[in-house]
Amino acid sequence: MTLEQLMFYGLGAVGIGSGLLVVTRRNPVMSALSLVLNFFCLAGLYLTLNAQFIAVIQIIVYAGAIMVLFLFVIMLLNLRDERALSDRLSARKIIGAGLAFGLLLQVLYILMSAADGFPQKDEALAVSTGTVEVIGVQLFTTFLFPFEITSLLLTAAIVGAVLLAKKKLD
Amino acid sequence: MVPLSHYLFLSAVLFMTGAVGVLTRRNAIIVFMSIELMLNSVNLTLVAFSSFLGNVTGQMLVFFVMTVAAAEAAVGLAIIIAIYRRKQTVNLDEINLLKW
Amino acid sequence: MVESVLQNLTYFVPETALVVTFCAVLLADVIFKGRPRIPWTIGLLGLIVAGVTAFQQTGLNRPVFDLMIVVDPFAVFFKVIVAATAILIYLMSLWSDEVKASARRMGEYAALLVSATLGMFLMAGATNLLMIVLALELTGLSSYVLSGYTKEASDSSEASLKYILFGAVSTGIMLYGISLLYGLTGATDLIGIRLALEGQAMTHTPMLLISSIMILAGFGYKISAVPFHFWTPDVYEGAPITVTAFLSVASKAAGFALMIRFLVSTATPSLGVDVMAVVQTFEWPKLIAIMSVLTMTLGNIVAIWQNNLKRLLAYSSIAHAGTMLMAVTVFSQNGVAAVLIYFVVYLFMNLGAFYLVMLVAGATGSEDIDSYKGLGHRAPLVGVSLVIFLISLTGLPPTAGFIGKLYVFSALLDAQWIWLAIVGALNSVISLYYYVRVIRNMYLRDPDSAPAPVVLTGAQTVLLMVFLVPTLVLGVYFAPLVDWAHASVALFGIR
Repeated sequence: MTLEQLMFYGLGAVGIGSGLLVVTRRNPVMSALSLVLNFFCLAGLYLTLNAQFIAVIQIIVYAGAIMVLFLFVIMLLNLRDERALSDRLSARKIIGAGLAFGLLLQVLYILMSAADGFPQKDEALAVSTGTVEVIGVQLFTTFLFPFEITSLLLTAAIVGAVLLAKKKLD
Repeated sequence: MVPLSHYLFLSAVLFMTGAVGVLTRRNAIIVFMSIELMLNSVNLTLVAFSSFLGNVTGQMLVFFVMTVAAAEAAVGLAIIIAIYRRKQTVNLDEINLLKW
Repeated sequence: MVESVLQNLTYFVPETALVVTFCAVLLADVIFKGRPRIPWTIGLLGLIVAGVTAFQQTGLNRPVFDLMIVVDPFAVFFKVIVAATAILIYLMSLWSDEVKASARRMGEYAALLVSATLGMFLMAGATNLLMIVLALELTGLSSYVLSGYTKEASDSSEASLKYILFGAVSTGIMLYGISLLYGLTGATDLIGIRLALEGQAMTHTPMLLISSIMILAGFGYKISAVPFHFWTPDVYEGAPITVTAFLSVASKAAGFALMIRFLVSTATPSLGVDVMAVVQTFEWPKLIAIMSVLTMTLGNIVAIWQNNLKRLLAYSSIAHAGTMLMAVTVFSQNGVAAVLIYFVVYLFMNLGAFYLVMLVAGATGSEDIDSYKGLGHRAPLVGVSLVIFLISLTGLPPTAGFIGKLYVFSALLDAQWIWLAIVGALNSVISLYYYVRVIRNMYLRDPDSAPAPVVLTGAQTVLLMVFLVPTLVLGVYFAPLVDWAHASVALFGIR
């Protein structure tokens, strides 16, 4: 087993495991911490795919900012465990899980049947696409316009979040 | 050498794990975390394709998906705080006064 | 680089106006604290400038910013519709008790209305999957917050939560579809995707199919087509009524623009090349036909049992989306033109109905159909106008609604979709039942107790006329509208 395979299967297994923990833990703090672990696994996988820049911002943005926000809100609201409701198996849960599982099988089947036509990795090419330099150039040429729109998106989100979360009612 | 399809299988499994969370959990915050999980699996698919095709566009998309995820999380959590102030709960079963 | 950006900006004037307005409203809100009228007025002026400059773009047909978005007659048409809706909603808000109750937040309300409008402008012209997602999100985030604007009312926050949950999930599904489509084609702009699909032997068709369905789910959510409609009634009922009216027209229009552009750009035959693989391997028209039948029927049947007029209008707007989807089914210029005509008509009649519901709710404090008992005798003008709007929503002559339906059905019959046309006609009959119930309450029932009078001020009457006159005039004199719609079906890069 090469190092790459080792990393992929190791990180993949931990990623799936932590993903399952996110959706099964009753305590939201546990879920949030599992999600952080999941994000780190994904960052590792991005490295095996030679996407250094994405791996780094995965940690900075997701684990560093978004998850801190989640944890902050969980602490702020002082949430306890979800009781009663998550103990019972309801029809909705079974249907929901079954639906998702059926869809998963379908997607896996489709991916499997298409797998022959997938491209092989060109190591040199892959290394040259994921660098900060290439992404920076793209960001400020071809993707300049969406980049600017993103700033508006974030401004609107900030205005909205402040408006909704403000304590005073006026 | 790990083939592309294995990356795609992994991301499909993660996506559906997130979907199960959305469909079965009743805690609004955990539902939002499950949505983050779904968006992350999208990112994995994009990066895998981008790297195997040697095409940087996929990684650019990831950059923007992260922004979208951050903005959605901020607004979603603000809404949860607004509701919690009124009802002292984030349980979707108790929140949904409105009918389906 | 700088020159090309500047040159592109000259084709981006309406959107730039909205960006400037958005920032100006936010700044003015901070500077003139306690005087919400100032940011509010700036927002109105900005929207008018954007609407006028968008209209001046008529006739242009070119890509802007590296094919991220385009300016073509189709986009211009939808931009004008969105801008007109936004301006009318803005004026309606002047008399909305819900907005006035939180008057100190009016600046933020104005800013978010502008940013939602900007998002819809971008939706109308987006030709890159990335831009489609960003535009959907900008519109979505603004509307989530707007529908929770009156956070003191518990319905409003809940509507907002439901909206964002469904929105975020559908964005996730759509993004997954986009990631697969990108993997298959290596491109994200619609033209590039089309070229890639035309060029390669399609060994991945099931994958192409599932990715397209996932992307369509994102659009279906925006236009609240069955089975992606679950959020609609609750959000429409819980949100402030001005926001409901805005979402039911503008957001839906932008969603249709995206959906039509996506389908036409990726799934119709082009010069010299045969019908593209997506169409060959899968019958899109049939799928959309089934979706439209489900959407119409569900909207109309559930509307029968509603006692809250706002909620009734929510279900009726689902039904109208189904009617417009019927026209999309045709996949022809006539079909697209019918959607465009329908939207102009729908704008006036639907906003007019919501406007009257808002005024009556302001006077009587209730949106219940029972509170409309005897309204026709108490307030003749309001009664007669509401009757006209409801008849128009049913699609009976001599109102504009009839013209909208007429063009949809004639496009269907031209394309030999007889069974679909019959289902559509049956649905119109069902809708007659619940619209007439409201009319019957207004004229044939006596009120239970002494009701509050509904009196319109002069300015309110003028705005009512803005909705009422086109609803009547377009029913008899519609040639210019039809010409404009037919001139606007030209999409960039197609034919």
